[in-house]
Amino acid sequence: MAHRWGSAQLLAIPVLALSLFLVGCPKRPATTAASAPAPTGTPAPSSPAPSSPSTPSMTPAPAAPATAAPATPPRPSEFAENANLKDVYFDFDKYDIRANDAKILDTNAAWLKTNDNLVLIEGHCDERGTNEYNLALGERRAKSTMNYLVSQGVQASRITIISYGKERPVCTEHTEDCWARNRRSHFLTKSR
Amino acid sequence: MHNLMRPGRPLGALAALVVLAALVGALSSPPAARSQAADVLLNVLATGAKKLNIVIPNFTLVAGTDPAGLGKSLPLVTARDLTFSSLFSVVTEVPPIAAGDPAALRAAFGNFAAAGAHAGLHGLLTLRGDRAEVEMRLHDLTSPEFRLIGSKKVEMPTNQARRLAHKIADEVVMQFTGELGIADTKMAYVGVVSGHKELHMMDYDGANPTRVTSNNSINLSPVWSPDTRSLAFTSYMRGYPYLYRMFPFENRPVQVLAGFLGINTTPAFSPDGRTVALTLSRDGNPEVYLLTLATGAFRRLTTYAGIDTEPTWSPTGREIAFVSERAGGAHVFVMDAEGANVRRVTQSGFNTQPRWSPKGDTIAFTSRQGNFDLWAVSPDGSNLRRLTAGPGNNEGASWAPNARHLVFQSNRSGNYQLYTMLADGSEQQPLPRGAGESTSASWSPRLP
Repeated sequence: MAHRWGSAQLLAIPVLALSLFLVGCPKRPATTAASAPAPTGTPAPSSPAPSSPSTPSMTPAPAAPATAAPATPPRPSEFAENANLKDVYFDFDKYDIRANDAKILDTNAAWLKTNDNLVLIEGHCDERGTNEYNLALGERRAKSTMNYLVSQGVQASRITIISYGKERPVCTEHTEDCWARNRRSHFLTKSR
Repeated sequence: MHNLMRPGRPLGALAALVVLAALVGALSSPPAARSQAADVLLNVLATGAKKLNIVIPNFTLVAGTDPAGLGKSLPLVTARDLTFSSLFSVVTEVPPIAAGDPAALRAAFGNFAAAGAHAGLHGLLTLRGDRAEVEMRLHDLTSPEFRLIGSKKVEMPTNQARRLAHKIADEVVMQFTGELGIADTKMAYVGVVSGHKELHMMDYDGANPTRVTSNNSINLSPVWSPDTRSLAFTSYMRGYPYLYRMFPFENRPVQVLAGFLGINTTPAFSPDGRTVALTLSRDGNPEVYLLTLATGAFRRLTTYAGIDTEPTWSPTGREIAFVSERAGGAHVFVMDAEGANVRRVTQSGFNTQPRWSPKGDTIAFTSRQGNFDLWAVSPDGSNLRRLTAGPGNNEGASWAPNARHLVFQSNRSGNYQLYTMLADGSEQQPLPRGAGESTSASWSPRLP
């Protein structure tokens, strides 16, 4: 029988057929759901070795702007849609509040100052960033939005922010219109 | 008979790399310690051949019975691994060679030697109880007597026979290049299940896909610990994006690594496994931090008031590359592991997802210039080169532990699926398609 040595030509069977003689995996991965207590404002992460709780030791940070939320924020699922609070939008790769969006935030702030709710600000991105960078960008958008509301007199302690990056788009078309709709801060509220 | 050794044909770039690696290995050890197989490879490549031609007959059963036909199926897996390495041209599906019969071996290998084979792998298979063992015997078919240049016994439980084939391939690569191959590795990745992003893993070649989270939320950015025992990842399983560690091969609960207000994202284990670099916005904006696992202590590395994120470690553990918008846009920077001596690496484009190669000489990253494509650069910013040029978006690279391959995600076929390629961007090929989109792959270290 003549066997030819082509460049990387292989007489092997495709991978799917190869799996025929595969007989199971190493120990089946555990999919135990986490059953830890509800998150606190500044939890110390659990770590395997030490028995005493560890306090985070870190280089001192510059003074932070308006500090965020109650020590134990409610889960996002406890907040609800609120038609009184309109979304604001952002330029591509940007997180600063534009003039027209500031006017919308003024209206939102006015409503919040007369309705004593907790508020969750979501920060979102369009698809044109990579996933991890967009988590940071969404965080900055939510933070800018929060800072503006605080500057308009809304108490910081009422506000929690959450970034979804590009993971929760409102549309998925690859168009300028859809992208613009996704670059947003969105508001949810919960009674105290 | 064909003789496809072509004198005068220029060395392929990869063959040249292998030659260089073998020469470096050779120069650093006394001649007696250098494997004979490496000599064979050097000699073969010196003639101008681009790959080493190897024949792998079906394995010879020397003890036990083989109802599952492992003697035929294992060589096919090994052959596919060797082909993937891009160092070998493989022939299989050849009848087994009797054990302990030099005349039979000469007769069997003789035809292939005449056809241009440089090496032959003779595998002796023993199946005893629930364990499978292969004695792998490597022959130099360029020598008149087909001398034995290496032999090793590899053993696994029979229900992990595929890993046995992978380990054999890795040993063959070790014999010829001085470094183990990467066939006994896994990919962790994100797959969409019922509309949710959940963590999965599979063998590096796509076999054995397994789901490892089922929390019906959003699970992102899995990365392997250096000891392959755990995966760090970001998950919204408790509502907010926290950083977790899970142990897919042990019955241990998921641990929270970081659960601060804001984002807890982009985990990266240090090479010694003791530290996790990550992004936290707890101080007001996204910054790079280090978490010492043994103590739970956090240390902040960056201070710029805008976005700093996506840390990746140099294999020395002494430097970290990351993404910052401090120069406008998004660029890759490098700093010491203490946070000092920040210097800029990329100059143009919108650049994210830096991934420092395990060999230390290259940082792969994603650049958006219209679509996303993968690029590579030296840590000092020199030798910038493009690895992909469409079609579609190509992003989310992760290095194989020998730095010769990358896995990445591409939507060139419509939705995002995983692909592999060589470190120079060549030989881009798909992994088996997932039911939904597959993204965010992390290539494991070699399994113990």
